[in-house]
Amino acid sequence: MLEAIDLTKKYGGFTALDSLNLTVDEGDIFCLLGANGAGKSTTINLFLNFIEPTSGRALINGLDVTEHARKTKQWLSYIPENLQLYKNLTGLENLEFFCGLGGVGQDRDALESLLLKSGLQKDFVHQRVDRYSKGMRQKVGIALARAKGAKVLLLDEPTSGLDPKASNEFSELLLEMKDQKVATLMATHDLFRAKDTGTHIGIMKEGTLLETMETSEISFNDLESKYLRHMHA
Amino acid sequence: MGTVFLMASKEIKNMARQRTLWTLLGVVIGLMLLGLYTGHQVYRQQKLMVDRASDQKRTEWLEQGEKHPHIAAHYGTYVFKPKTILSLFDHGLDTYTGTSVYLEAHYPHEFMFRPVQGYGGAIRFGELTAALVLQLLLPLLIIFITFQSFTKERETGTLRLLISQGVSVRSILMGKVVAFTLVGFIVLTPFFIGLYLLSGEESENQVITDVGLRTVLLFGIYALYLFVFTGFSVWVSLKSSSARNALLTLLTFWMVTGVIIPKTAANFGETLYPLPSMKAFKEGIHSDIANGMDGAGSRLEREARLKEDYLAHYGVTSLDQLPLNFEGVRMQEGEEYSNKVYDAHNDKLYARFEEQNRIGSLLAFVAPYMAVRNLSMAMAGTDWYSFNDFTAKTETYRRNLIRTMNRDMAENSRYGEFFEYKADEKLWESIEDFRYVSFTAQRALSFYRAELLALTLWVLWILFLMTIPRKIKNL
Repeated sequence: MLEAIDLTKKYGGFTALDSLNLTVDEGDIFCLLGANGAGKSTTINLFLNFIEPTSGRALINGLDVTEHARKTKQWLSYIPENLQLYKNLTGLENLEFFCGLGGVGQDRDALESLLLKSGLQKDFVHQRVDRYSKGMRQKVGIALARAKGAKVLLLDEPTSGLDPKASNEFSELLLEMKDQKVATLMATHDLFRAKDTGTHIGIMKEGTLLETMETSEISFNDLESKYLRHMHA
Repeated sequence: MGTVFLMASKEIKNMARQRTLWTLLGVVIGLMLLGLYTGHQVYRQQKLMVDRASDQKRTEWLEQGEKHPHIAAHYGTYVFKPKTILSLFDHGLDTYTGTSVYLEAHYPHEFMFRPVQGYGGAIRFGELTAALVLQLLLPLLIIFITFQSFTKERETGTLRLLISQGVSVRSILMGKVVAFTLVGFIVLTPFFIGLYLLSGEESENQVITDVGLRTVLLFGIYALYLFVFTGFSVWVSLKSSSARNALLTLLTFWMVTGVIIPKTAANFGETLYPLPSMKAFKEGIHSDIANGMDGAGSRLEREARLKEDYLAHYGVTSLDQLPLNFEGVRMQEGEEYSNKVYDAHNDKLYARFEEQNRIGSLLAFVAPYMAVRNLSMAMAGTDWYSFNDFTAKTETYRRNLIRTMNRDMAENSRYGEFFEYKADEKLWESIEDFRYVSFTAQRALSFYRAELLALTLWVLWILFLMTIPRKIKNL
């Protein structure tokens, strides 16, 4: 579903991402771990076509995101570290608006039900977003992904700054999406969340993907050791 | 198109929930409607005064009693340029040109030459009117509403979410322009509806026969101007890296195109095409009348030739043998020659004005304010060409009045007879009351082809800008 082929991004003499090759299949949650500047967000931005690769290709469902920008965006949903919505609109109005832009024609009741299913409290559905916590806004983001029927989820540090309860709720929502065969690529610093939620983990450093592994085949302690070893190397 | 509509709806909904914005718009609309109301009161008072003064002067002319026609020609009369309802919207040059002129024999009143005295830079700036509010303050309001339209989305991160939905930058840009233009219409529409309703009164005196059409055209001109400013402001916000940069860029544009260029245009025009001083202008006319133009000879020589021609034509040897009063003929010939001299000098002077005006017209291609200011005055009937039209028609009226007096004197009195001959009210009544009717809106616009073209190009340029963006840098 998601594929990077020798994906490279350079800014002048600085290499932000160096020949990345990875595949995220349906139902996979691929977590990119790494320190700041490792190239995680650059990878997400390349799949979003926010920036163009210096070389290589980023494919979604087999289509190059730079050549088929609009088509590939119809399949994906994006939740950044701090999802911002329109503060003067309610959560439901925001969802309606973004669904409309994505070409999703859902009625209000269906959207409201999706918001509730995504964990937003009923009282907040019709309240303006300026009263929402970060976790509540992330839930609107998940509801949007569900409403769009997204095949791909691109998450950039989605649980950063969330309290443990909200983080857990978010992880549960990701697992639900996984069951619906959604391919997820998540950039994160959170080793615990990556091990707990992900199916695959990739450790990145200075624009390079150093190692990939399946979470089922590694313990948390081993993951932590490997990660720290790479970071200190 | 659906995406543009969605974006526009979202923007309007978002703005609708900003109380400060509505308070600001409410204040602007309220002030403009108040301005319209008070302007209308002033207009009615002025119209009443002009009507009364016109009636009084007409009565004085008709009831001046029996007197020699030449004395009546010097007794003269006043004519008044009636106020038009649209002048309450845009005073244009009315304040500087005046609206009345005294008509008498031998020479046009000073009114005609007033531009020579008063055409400084200030005359091109106008005064605080509803038109000026729309020309300069509405753009400022638009700038304050729109400068963050993209930068805020970028700073908060909503722009990334928008783009990630597969929406084109063009659609977002168009949606925002549509929404902000509609907000601008909220200011424009009530005012022009009010003006249109009030303009119904104009049909009573018919100074401008197409006042309804002119009001609609004014609305169209300002609507395009609003679109240009809105489109440009939103585009600048899209291209700016921060809200501060966008605001600075837009305020600079507003200052340069709304203040500096108009001022420069006036000064530049005066430097390139200087006008003669009042003294030199008058001396030139008096000299040409006394000494003659193009070898026509002095006044005495011209009169001697006229006398000989008449004596030869009628085959007589002295003026008292002529079947008409030669004094009347001589006076009319003097009038005709003076008119010729005045026309020649005025043509040169007006050609200079036109050269100066042309600079302003050309600058409309870099400053939309210049285009709108000139077109607005034209539609309100308060521009330089409308003033010219009024002066030309009063001058035609004056010449006809004097010609009628001189002809009566020539045909009905005898040579050497002056105080003995007296005309009566039959002659005064033969001079119809002066009634000014302005030219049509179509003719008014024909003087401003450059401005129309400039405004059209500005609109096309903004539309073009809206089709360019494909990708946003620094998302």
